[in-house]
Amino acid sequence: MNWKQWLFGRRELTLALACVAVAAFFQFLSPYFLTADNLTTILRNSVELLLVSLGITFVLATAGIDIAVGGALGICAIFVGWSVQGGWPLPVVVLIGPLIGTGLGLVSATLIVQGKIPPIIATLGLFGVYRAAIFLLLGGSWISGLPDTLGPVVNPTIAGIPLTAIYILFFYFLGWVVIRWVPLGIAIRATGGNERAARLSGISVGGTKFFVYGFTGLLVGFAAFLYVARYRNVETSTGGLIALDAIVASVLGGTSVLGGKANLLGTMFGVLLVRLLQNGFVLIGVPSLWEQVITGALLIGVLILDAWAERRSPNYTRWLATR
Amino acid sequence: MTTAFKQIRFSGLLVLWLIALMVFAVRAPAFFTLANFTSVLQFSTLLALVTLGQTLVILTGGGGIDLSVGGIVSLSGLAIASLIKAGTPALVAGIAGVVFGGILGSINGFLITRLRLLPLIVTLGTYYAYNGLALALTGGAPISGLPASFGLLGQDAVLAIPLHTWFLVAPIFLVMLFTLNQTPLGRWIYAVGSNEKAARLVGLPVDAIRLGAYALSGVLAALAGLVADSWLLSARPNIGDNLELLSLTATLLGGTSIFGGSGGLAGSLAAVLFFTSLQAGLQMLNVNSIWQLGLVGMFLIGSVLMDRIIRNAEPK
Repeated sequence: MNWKQWLFGRRELTLALACVAVAAFFQFLSPYFLTADNLTTILRNSVELLLVSLGITFVLATAGIDIAVGGALGICAIFVGWSVQGGWPLPVVVLIGPLIGTGLGLVSATLIVQGKIPPIIATLGLFGVYRAAIFLLLGGSWISGLPDTLGPVVNPTIAGIPLTAIYILFFYFLGWVVIRWVPLGIAIRATGGNERAARLSGISVGGTKFFVYGFTGLLVGFAAFLYVARYRNVETSTGGLIALDAIVASVLGGTSVLGGKANLLGTMFGVLLVRLLQNGFVLIGVPSLWEQVITGALLIGVLILDAWAERRSPNYTRWLATR
Repeated sequence: MTTAFKQIRFSGLLVLWLIALMVFAVRAPAFFTLANFTSVLQFSTLLALVTLGQTLVILTGGGGIDLSVGGIVSLSGLAIASLIKAGTPALVAGIAGVVFGGILGSINGFLITRLRLLPLIVTLGTYYAYNGLALALTGGAPISGLPASFGLLGQDAVLAIPLHTWFLVAPIFLVMLFTLNQTPLGRWIYAVGSNEKAARLVGLPVDAIRLGAYALSGVLAALAGLVADSWLLSARPNIGDNLELLSLTATLLGGTSIFGGSGGLAGSLAAVLFFTSLQAGLQMLNVNSIWQLGLVGMFLIGSVLMDRIIRNAEPK
């Protein structure tokens, strides 16, 4: 193994290096970048994205896509907000987001599996429906000034680690167990790698898809819960661009949009890199309106780099020969 | 696609349209005036141009889809408006803007055909990049104050039919329809869409055809931006919002298969007219436009579902 393979062979390592390089770059331009305050802000801003990206990584691994997650997050947040406003019992408040999220995820799965609609069409259509639903539910006004009933569930720390971080690590651990140690993980990768072959070898392709979209919905619902717990308001734009961010983070992390591959640790670093970049550009004085452009360009850039790297690998020549 | 299937498809759309018209007849009689007829056509041009491009992209198959059309409409509209503000003659500015749109579309096509990237992920990336650029470059504010003489294309009508319908939508539609149905190139497009491997084996320039489809989609989107500029005498950075959802829905509702290779432009245009009359009617009934978004999302899912059901019911 030469040094190039060692450095670039592991996606997580490459990404960690990229994060360091990006951090150094912004620190050079803005001395505020590497302060404890700003790093905390970056981590705080990553909370929802970490959860949603984990789900998207699973969806992409089955060669699917879900661009309705932003709308679903908004809807879940509204219900969490209402339950806080209404002073419902704490277990209900905690569970309502994940429950509704899972329900919405299963709606996507039903359309994709039972209706045989391509995932991009089904979730694009649902995105339109969800956005209308958010307007209908909120009636054009925000839910704001919620009481801090959820603080005790998310703010305390255990051994210096915030509870929120523990929740996120728990879900990533769960995801890792599923993808690495449970037959379902093989089913997920097999479905994405070659759906026909997976079906022929007796894997329940439909069931697998129900799981990934449902699980994504669960994570989206929990992300909505954490969102409301921290910001204590819900706007019509809540959840807005998170679908793009999540896809970018997963693809950065080495999960292929063609399916068959999932890299959870990579996704974590991908989220970190996305948020580092978004935060850094604001700090050096680029207006936040550019965020969309930067993220979109990042997605295209990673895809180009990946395609280029693949072309240089021996696998590509073999793949070309089979065409 | 069999003719029986096409007929069911088309009559389904017709039934939807008739239901909408009946509702409007009862609730908003003003819908059936000549002025409203003109305004429906006026509204339809943007969507019609974009949808013709979208249909072509989807027809060429390979997972073809163009989610970035709305961004191209906004960006080229802004480019044309700023050129005119800088003193460029309107004709030159228009041509430059259309070329610009073609370049934006070619970027999609290049990434998809040369680097073999997935169309949906590439155009999702450019969707955000183009829309974001339109917002970021203007700070969200429109470029307004274009000279009134520039409004000729967008505002005037002859025989109650807007000039841009006469001079852009109708001729472009007819030329594209003729090309698709009567020329070898049209056959190639269907061949590339229905069986890529076979098309490659008989030596069709698959990649060139797809690249061309994305470029043309960009050109048509830029023309839509030009019409919008001329109509409003200003360029809005968000004028193309939701056009990707609308054009995709119109294409699929019009009977083009999402997998490429079957369908056509006539259905797409019919669906566009259906949408715009629905839009105009709902506006008269004071229905919030956000409802239309939800409705369109349901149409998108519903039309693909219907496809499945009809196909399954068809004897093999």
